[in-house]
Amino acid sequence: MDEEPLGLWTIAVIGAVAVVGFIALWETVVRIGVIDAFFLPAPSMIIKRAYVMAATGEKILLQDIWKRATRVLIGFALSGLVGVPLGLVMGMSKYVRAALNPIISIIRPLPALSWIPLSMLWLGIGEQQKFAIVFMGCFASVLVYTVAATLRVDVILQRAARNLGASRLQVIRHVTLPGALPNILSGLKVVLAIAWTCVISAEMVGANSGLGFRIWTGKEWSDTGQVLVGMISISVTVLILDILFRGVEWLLLPWQREGTTS
Amino acid sequence: MSEAVIQAKEVTKTFGKGKKAVTAVEDFDLLVKAREVVTLVGPSGCGKSTVLNMVAGFMSASSGQILLNDKPVTSVEPQCGMIFQSYALFPWMTVQQNVEFGPRVNRLPRAERLNRAKRYIEMVGLNGFEGAYPNQLSGGMLQRVALCRALANEPEVLLCDEPFAALDAMTRQVMQEELLRIVDRSGQTVLFITHSIDEALILSDRIIVMSARPGRVKDMIENHLPRPRHVDMQLGEDFLRMKRRIWKMVEEEVVASMKQGP
Repeated sequence: MDEEPLGLWTIAVIGAVAVVGFIALWETVVRIGVIDAFFLPAPSMIIKRAYVMAATGEKILLQDIWKRATRVLIGFALSGLVGVPLGLVMGMSKYVRAALNPIISIIRPLPALSWIPLSMLWLGIGEQQKFAIVFMGCFASVLVYTVAATLRVDVILQRAARNLGASRLQVIRHVTLPGALPNILSGLKVVLAIAWTCVISAEMVGANSGLGFRIWTGKEWSDTGQVLVGMISISVTVLILDILFRGVEWLLLPWQREGTTS
Repeated sequence: MSEAVIQAKEVTKTFGKGKKAVTAVEDFDLLVKAREVVTLVGPSGCGKSTVLNMVAGFMSASSGQILLNDKPVTSVEPQCGMIFQSYALFPWMTVQQNVEFGPRVNRLPRAERLNRAKRYIEMVGLNGFEGAYPNQLSGGMLQRVALCRALANEPEVLLCDEPFAALDAMTRQVMQEELLRIVDRSGQTVLFITHSIDEALILSDRIIVMSARPGRVKDMIENHLPRPRHVDMQLGEDFLRMKRRIWKMVEEEVVASMKQGP
């Protein structure tokens, strides 16, 4: 009888109560002095700090978030624009796959961080360098996910299409592409999260704006409030982007919408 | 000119090379006349599906010849509509789009496409489900859509690869009757693979029993049981006598194929 899954509302209420409880506990332990506010400011102080950073002066918080989001999205989009088509070709041709797999195996294990020195030498510390870091951090993963998605398309479906008179090109257009799309999108969702971690390394080294820079300088000035505001802003932006991404999936994959399964 | 629609002449199919070579089908002869319903019965791995795939043009014979209307089958043959056990419907297309797929890739004018879709959707009783996606339908409905999709191409031959094997017994019985009714109306020649002797006896004009690997024709039985072969008939003396006779033949082959291993 415990097997019954919780309803959506129940889950939402339990989650909300837990979050509020956690924040209240945090606020209390700082207020009564169990934890020194210098090391960990209370939530109310963080909110005040965030308000100052977002609403006064140059509104640096909003600028930082914007900076960071454009870096992530442009680097990510570039890796998708190159990686998805290339991955599709690799997935469809065993020859291209055999040729490119060794190269990808060499690039793939390199963390985005390891590209920083080269990218700074090549591109300086401008925006292009940030895009390049995100691109290099995402590209190989996009490729690998796309190849896997393409290979997972059911051969029977391709056979059925051929049997119904589709040419090879029509099979690609009407079967392979839509068949691979759901797995490509879920791969891209994972890569988008990777993109965020790439950009933070780029922003902590050789940057003068962005959330990563703000967190880093916060630490230099022992401004724990600023560090926490930066960290929470990252969480919130990633959450928002994730929701947007779900919207894209909902639009592109009408046959997988919730509630269509009877 | 003979009235033979499908002919196989001394067809042998070997997979792999050298020591690993496996002969799936050997010296296989077959003749299916226009508007006949012929079933292939035999143990798993006896090469039934291989025969079907060769007729459909998905595979070529290692030696011997497959003829369709006296012409050798050289590539995927659009005159043969295939129906798969796993339905092989395109999950991202609605029922309507699935049914229209054949006419669409064959570049029929839109009006004709719609016309055909409407006619065959009515014929298989899918009215009202045109906008549904496959994941919203039950097994029996899915196989109706698959049948409908094959019919919309107006093929001369229907190749059925155990299409009803995944359905529950009652749905299967209904679908068998539907198939016969539809084929009777639209005039296809049917080559049907099954594990079930009952199914073979209910559906076919002739039953071909195949031997264990390598698959050859072990025996051919004319099935003169009067139609329609409803439940009463299936409990009658004639039906049971034939069933016993076929089962004896198949049993030997099943035992032989179990000794071979997978």
